Order: sequence, then C-alpha cells, then structure tokens
Amino acid sequence: MSRFFFLVKEALTNLRRNALVVAGAILAVFISLSLAFGALVVNEVLRINTLAWQDGVHVIAFLKDEGAAGVPPGAHAQLQAEVETWEEVKPPVRYVDKNEAWIEFQQIFEGQDELLDIDPTILPASLRIELVDIAFYQSVKFRLEQQSQVVRRVNTAAEEIEQLENLSNVLNVLGLGMAIVLGLSAVVLIANTIRLAIYARRDEVAVMKLVGASNWFIRVPFLLEGMIEGVIGAALAVFVVWLGSSRLAEATQSFALFKLDVANRFFFQWGILFLIFGAVAGVVGSLLGLSRYLRDADGVGADIPGGI
Amino acid sequence: MIRLENVTKVYEGGTVAANDVSLDIQKGEFVFLVGASGSGKSTLIRLMLRDEPVTRGTIYVAGKDITTLPKWKIPYLRRSVGTVFQDYKLLPNKTVSENVAFALEVLGRPASAIKPQVEQVLDLVGLADKAARYPRQLSGGEQQRVSVARSFVNRPPIMLCDEPTGNLDPKTSVGIMKLLDRINRTGTTIVMATHDHAIVDAMQRRVVALESGSVMRDEATGRYEQDVPE
Repeated sequence: MSRFFFLVKEALTNLRRNALVVAGAILAVFISLSLAFGALVVNEVLRINTLAWQDGVHVIAFLKDEGAAGVPPGAHAQLQAEVETWEEVKPPVRYVDKNEAWIEFQQIFEGQDELLDIDPTILPASLRIELVDIAFYQSVKFRLEQQSQVVRRVNTAAEEIEQLENLSNVLNVLGLGMAIVLGLSAVVLIANTIRLAIYARRDEVAVMKLVGASNWFIRVPFLLEGMIEGVIGAALAVFVVWLGSSRLAEATQSFALFKLDVANRFFFQWGILFLIFGAVAGVVGSLLGLSRYLRDADGVGADIPGGI
Repeated sequence: MIRLENVTKVYEGGTVAANDVSLDIQKGEFVFLVGASGSGKSTLIRLMLRDEPVTRGTIYVAGKDITTLPKWKIPYLRRSVGTVFQDYKLLPNKTVSENVAFALEVLGRPASAIKPQVEQVLDLVGLADKAARYPRQLSGGEQQRVSVARSFVNRPPIMLCDEPTGNLDPKTSVGIMKLLDRINRTGTTIVMATHDHAIVDAMQRRVVALESGSVMRDEATGRYEQDVPE
C-alpha cells in the first residue's frame, strides 16, 4: 500500500516538476478533444433542428363542398375520423372548415387587397394531417386520392420533405464522421505528445532500470501522469465547448428558424464519455511512449554512453 | 563473489569486446580493470550487470548464473549490485536525498525506514547539508558522491564502478577513491574500471589489465603499467 502511495506521489511530483511538458500534453488533449466534441455538438444541433423542421403539417387534403354532387352532409367528419385511424397518421387530424379557411387566407395575404377581393365561398374546407414519419407521405397521398368522391386535391410538401430528409441524413453522417475522425486523430496526437514527453525523460527511465526498478514500478507513475493529463485536457475541452455553445444559444435565442440550445443532459453524458476517452488516450499514449524504453529488460545499455 | 568463465562478447558488426575472459573475484576484494579505451573494461562491467547478454560463457554473481537469468529477474540482480558511472546517472528531477531514497523505494522499504538510512549514507559521503539540492546545483565531485551514496544505501554486497573518476579532477578523484576504499573496508566487493594511472598505482590493489578484450595481466597488488624488469 505504501508503495502505491509512493507511486502516486511520484506521479504528482513529476507533473509539478515537468510543468512545461505537462502543459503541452494537456494542450494537445484539449485542442483535439475540443474539435471532436465541437463536431459532436454541431451534429446534435443539426439533429434537433431537422427534427423541429419535421414537426407540423405534412399533408393537406382539400375537400369537395358538402352538399355538392355525391358529397352527403357529414362526409367531411366521417373522412376525418377514418383518416385518424390510419397508422401512418399522427392523430388528431385537424379539420379546417370554409370559414376558418377564409380567416387563414385573410391572414396570409393581409394588406394585399387585390387578392382578398374574392368570393370567400370558393375556398375549400381541408384536413391538415401530420404523419408519424414523413417518409409515409406518398402512401397517405395515395390513400387520400382514392377517396375522390370527397377529396378534391391532395397537397404535400413532397419535394421539400425529401430534400430535408436527405440533407439531415448527409449532415448526420458528416457530423458523426467528423467526430470520429477528430477523435481518432486526438488519440494519435495525445499519444505522440506524451511519447515526446517520455522521450525527453528516457535517461531517467534508464537510470531507474539501473537501480533495479521493475518495469511496472517505472510504468505506473508515467501512466498516472498520462491519465491525469488526459482527464484535465478533456475536462477543459468539454467545459469550453459547453460554455461556447450555451453562450451562442443565448445570443441567438431570437432566431425562430434555427435553435442552438443543446440539452445539458447531452453535455453531461458525452462529457463523461470524453473524460474517460481522455484518460484512456493518456494511458495508451504513455504505454506506447514507454514501450520502446522498457521493451528489452537488458536494454539500459542503449542509453549508457561510453562505448565498450 | 563474481566468477567469469570463458566469457566472450561479440557485438553486432563483429567487434570482439571480451575474448574468452575468465576471472574469479573473492568477497571483499577491490579489483581494478585497466586498459586503453576500447579494451573491453566497460563491457565486462555491463556483462556483470546483465546490461548486455554474453555471446558465450557463464557469469556467476553471488553464486547465481546471471547469463540464464529470466528478464523479469534482472531488476533483482541490479538491486544487489551497486553501480557508479562516469556520468553519475542521477535523476535530474529529484533532490539529492530523493535520488538516494529512490534505490530504497524500488525495494519497497517503508518510508519510516528509508529516511534514517538516507540521512546516514549522506552523512557518510559528506553531503548531509545538501540533501535538498538538485543534481544541477552540485559540482561534479558532489554529484558522484550522491551516486556512490545511492549505490551503497541498501548495502549491496557488490559495487561495480565504471570510470567513476573519469570526469573529475585529481583532487576530487582522491576524495571519491577514499570513499570507495571505506566502503570496501565494510566488506563490499568493488570492481572498478579505470584508466587513471595515479589512482591505480596509489591504491596497491588487484589489477586486471585488458587489451582487445583479452586479459593480459592479473596481479594481486599491481600497478597500471607492467613493471619492466631492470
């Protein structure tokens, strides 16, 4: 036990006495993980926003007037009730009667008097339908068109919906791909920086071996140092990205179209993962950096000058 | 204490650094390995430390054949052999007392036992007042005394010294030699590679002269140069 405490103390003392090298390693972790975490947050923002854009009415069915040929009274309510039972449709289905349609029309074209100068009775009643998944729009459109005795015309935001779907898919893949690539390069960068730090101290490793330290005795303080550097760098990265993102969200609160506020839960969950990631990257970096100097238990010789 | 049987060491590239060397070093002996640069002095020291594997032959240290020692046991060998090198090999980020204590930490000694032992040995080498200094704040002679203190602090039965006075002026060298002599008188076997004529001649101890990896001369109380009969 006292040995373990000694090794922990060693690690902390080394961190303090090699401040410059340690700062370099922490900076490397911080920068690379900030980029990776940033990419992840951007990805989340896109996901939130494409979800938001998908909210709302997807299909509008304009109806023939009740009382016209072949449309008995009550046909609208009957159709509304039927559509609500369809599994592709998210109930409730909103019925907009002719009066409401006129009010809506007036709102949309407010101030454009020449457009408002029409006969209000020509505006049809309609059903406003929201889908469980916008991918169903074609089948819903088809089923509505089958009801041709009541349905006059079906409008969908078909192209727009499809484009939005494609865009959000591409952006999701891109964002995730970025996060993964940046995460991998973070491991390489962290490992390399710690390797350099150990390279600078290779004589120290040689001396430890000379005095009879076992490989694990030499390794443990270096591993702890790498882990601490990784965790501090990752914590800084998570904190800075969180701060930046929440400040940006505050500043852009008034934007109706694009929301920037990412849930704190997202930061918490991914933040913990990034801390673990930083710790593991630090340990792996130290292991890789040390392996060269510990590989050969006979190998002090490589570091002892003086020839034969 | 140390026995070399027909030890040969050929480095990659074909340099023969030890050529069929046989030596028997008794407990408590003080042995000088002398010879020009490249004669194989340092190689013998490194072979005894298992810092290099032998090409042929067997080396016994404290009764154990170290040439067949599994790698994971090498640290145990090194803990029972103190070493002093020309370039001191101190840990730059540790203070004098931490450097000396490290040799005991490696053995897993409790902190309460380490402190008095370190103080005692620093007293022996005359550096008690510089325990909190870093190696870079010391002179060469002082650094070498720290190195001697570190190698002696756990009272190893054997000390191997490779040109310990190589970087020091004659006066400082005498100080280090007096220290090694004192340690030798406690019963510690010392093998020292050197090309310092004055020291070898003054000490009047066993001298093993090497040339191109072969033992040319082995005298119980010898001088650096062979006496030319008048």
